Amino acid sequence: MSECIVITSGKGGVGKTTTSANLAVALAQAGNKVAVVDADIGLRNLDVILGLENRIVYDLVHVIEGECRLKQALIKDKRNKNLFLLPAAQTRDKNSVNPEQMRGLVAQLKEDFDYVIVDCPAGIEQGFRNSVAGADRAIIVTTPEVSAIRDADRIIGLVEAAELPEPQLIINRFRQKMVDRGDMMSTEDIMEILAIPLVGIVPEHEEVIISANRGIPAAYDPESVVGEAYRRLARRLCGEPEVPYIALTNGGLWSGFKRLFGMTSGGTA
Amino acid sequence: MLELINRWIHGPKGSKDEAKSRLKFLLVHDQVDLSPVELDAMKTEIMEVISRYVNVDKSTAEFRLEKDAGSVALVSNVPVSRVVARAV
Repeated sequence: MSECIVITSGKGGVGKTTTSANLAVALAQAGNKVAVVDADIGLRNLDVILGLENRIVYDLVHVIEGECRLKQALIKDKRNKNLFLLPAAQTRDKNSVNPEQMRGLVAQLKEDFDYVIVDCPAGIEQGFRNSVAGADRAIIVTTPEVSAIRDADRIIGLVEAAELPEPQLIINRFRQKMVDRGDMMSTEDIMEILAIPLVGIVPEHEEVIISANRGIPAAYDPESVVGEAYRRLARRLCGEPEVPYIALTNGGLWSGFKRLFGMTSGGTA
Repeated sequence: MLELINRWIHGPKGSKDEAKSRLKFLLVHDQVDLSPVELDAMKTEIMEVISRYVNVDKSTAEFRLEKDAGSVALVSNVPVSRVVARAV
């Protein structure tokens, strides 16, 4: 039984593409056959996050317009034989595709893949309507900021209007230290406002920028804190809802000691 | 350390409460598509109607939108001082 999950947020820059890439990698690493679709036509970026930008020949619009077969446009990730990318067109606009065509495309992908992950563009217009058209469920990415949560609330309403089941929430760029000193809304604060189930918490971490620089999603790095957050997200989505969130606190005395002497790099806050 | 003890006694004094209250305000206004300016105009009109029947103190009257379990309610608190003599 295959499933199409759309990753959306309303607001731009909250981490939809990073989430899509890492979730796709984590699901593929767990043995699922995964297709990740960049639905941001005109502003493609998922290829860059995945480090596959040099291998694009055909894109989503070529497939929809019948200029190539679906299999010709899918780019296989050499690091994981289970993972394929369907890139967006860069020189077209969002109106080159309609929801009916997207529904057909997703249905075709679902015949061959266990999971189809759709990376939705920012906004609530055509790109959003196309992205949710073929989806079985939606995951909403937000950050602990007023503007991102406001837009997430709007998107929750639109997801429900599109007759998808209740969406689930990922809180991205979470900083426990700021929450501890009362300068950032906690997961409880955010859930009280948005009132949808939480499925993932991803800490703010410099690893995200480094992995984007290199085109290697953090989920490929077994040592990465962020990668671990996405691996657990993938497990929670695949029928293990009880998998705990990664420890976001800065640990006990020993880790405090290590931080004091600069023995750890990065950090979650 | 002192700061920590202080926070332990008085609770966090950060900016998150401000974020949360601004957000709640935004969301109810978004949901009913009524701007604070329009709410104010509505308040003025309603007060005009009420003051035809009873005396009201306009400065202490309260009108606000509140969200509870998904639905938005208009909550108002209008202190009434005395009934106006009606010409009936």
